[in-house]
Amino acid sequence: MRLRSLAALLVLFLAAFAWASADCSIHQGDKVVLYGTSDDPDVFIWDSRFRLRDYEGGSFDQMNALLPHAVLARPGTRAVVESCVSNFVQSKYLSTPDNAVGIRIVGGPLHGQRGWVLGSSLRGMPKAPR
Amino acid sequence: MIQLRRRSVPFVLTAFLVIAVVVAVQGAFATRAQLAGTFARQSEIVHAQLSLEEMRRLQINAESAVRGFSLTHDPFYRQQYATIEAEFDSKAASVRATMMGAGLIGAVRSLDDYISLQRNWRRKVAEPMLADGGTDAVTLDKSNKAFTDVENRSVQLIRATLADANDRLARTAQEQVNANAYTRAFWLIVLGLLAILFNGFRSRLVTELEEERTTTETLQKAFRSEHVPLPNCEVGSAYLAASSHLAVGGDVFDVYRLSDTLALVFIADVSGKGVDAAVLTAFIKFTIRGIALRRRDPGAMLAEFNTAFAQTVENPYLFVSMFVAVLDTETLQLRYASAGHDSAFLRRSSGMTEQLAVTGPVLGVMEEPFETKTLHLEDLDSLVLATDGLTEARDPSGVQLQEAGAIRLIQTSSPQPQLLADELVARVRALGGNRLRDDLAVLAIRVHEPEAGDALA
Repeated sequence: MRLRSLAALLVLFLAAFAWASADCSIHQGDKVVLYGTSDDPDVFIWDSRFRLRDYEGGSFDQMNALLPHAVLARPGTRAVVESCVSNFVQSKYLSTPDNAVGIRIVGGPLHGQRGWVLGSSLRGMPKAPR
Repeated sequence: MIQLRRRSVPFVLTAFLVIAVVVAVQGAFATRAQLAGTFARQSEIVHAQLSLEEMRRLQINAESAVRGFSLTHDPFYRQQYATIEAEFDSKAASVRATMMGAGLIGAVRSLDDYISLQRNWRRKVAEPMLADGGTDAVTLDKSNKAFTDVENRSVQLIRATLADANDRLARTAQEQVNANAYTRAFWLIVLGLLAILFNGFRSRLVTELEEERTTTETLQKAFRSEHVPLPNCEVGSAYLAASSHLAVGGDVFDVYRLSDTLALVFIADVSGKGVDAAVLTAFIKFTIRGIALRRRDPGAMLAEFNTAFAQTVENPYLFVSMFVAVLDTETLQLRYASAGHDSAFLRRSSGMTEQLAVTGPVLGVMEEPFETKTLHLEDLDSLVLATDGLTEARDPSGVQLQEAGAIRLIQTSSPQPQLLADELVARVRALGGNRLRDDLAVLAIRVHEPEAGDALA
């Protein structure tokens, strides 16, 4: 009985994860580069995707209060995708909802650090020439 | 009635055309004014959009200068930062004024937020970094990023507000142009249709008037007197109808032998025009003839006619001016009475001409006695009778000939009656530039002293 419950929860968890990542164009294991916008290419990496969401929708004071939970990555920092939650970040300041993407830094001073970034702050890695 | 309608129709047509032109011109000017206002506002908004992008560029340049300093500690970047921020403030004031002028209150609020954030960024991020103190670089970097993100939001909001205002103005302009075009097209079509309708109406009236005129002229021609030969007299007459656009009037004259030595001579002018007036001339002619066969006194003739006229003609607006004379062709005695008819003249053989006095009021107005006057004519004296087309003839400037002018014309015309009548008509026509406002009838009778043999006979 207990085993059945655990199996059902596992199935639900996997289904929810599959639904959440249904619209993500990137997948676990994808290699990416961090890059914000041309005006402001630095990227915040958050310790929680909920803080990422609060930062994007919050006032300036709320944003300031959240800053200790973020590290600033320079543009071009390399990372690997670990998870993706589709359309998780919704804010009146964003024209369309954005994905929350879990990453692991694989280069630079932040190497090995894990966190959450906006899907629009990621660029695909150029494929290595054969 | 037709006359009145016919005169009013061209006026109505012209009025329609004038209104159509006014509608078109006014509509064009209204559209132009509306579009000019819209374009001016759009131009202000575009100017604000461009200035905003310029502010954004300056903001990024300022950040770059701060970063440049934090990396190199070169004082050049401090100088550059100061210049950029001064330029940013100036541009911000300009954009704000433009937005206020365009009434973009929402955009102004967002702009104020943006400016306020930029000032906070200077105080909390830029100035500590430029001070080269021991402030935590990582914290400043993160604050810088947070400021930039918030400023981005403000700029996005302003951009959206300006774009929305621009779209709204474009839509409004299009709606105004459409509304104006539809309104003008509607009125032009309505006025055009009315003009077409009235033009058809006018054509019908012209046809009716021409038919009436033809009928009237035929009647008048039938009623006009044939000259009967009178002993010791030469008779001449002429008739000139008014210009073709007017209806025929009621002029009538007659020379009728009452006996071997007496002749009835009269001329009359009926007020009004058209078939009614033409028919009335026949009534006058034959009634006067009938009365003259019983009465020889012209004053009594007019009095009796006046009574008959009042009993016969029911139209209270019709009246008649008439000159009646009985001429004794042996003694050359002329007895006459004039019912308000002032175009009667005596031209002496010397050419001297005098007007014959009016002896009573016009007929059909009141019951009044008519005085009879007696004149003795000399050899080659002429009686010249006309209707008011003579004295009321006008030159092109509108000045009437009047009695004095008529006397001048008679004095300087040929003494022979037919030539005199023809000349008078021709000169009156020439005076008005070949355009006659009223009908003109002229009757001239020149007497000759009877020879001894004639008298004995």
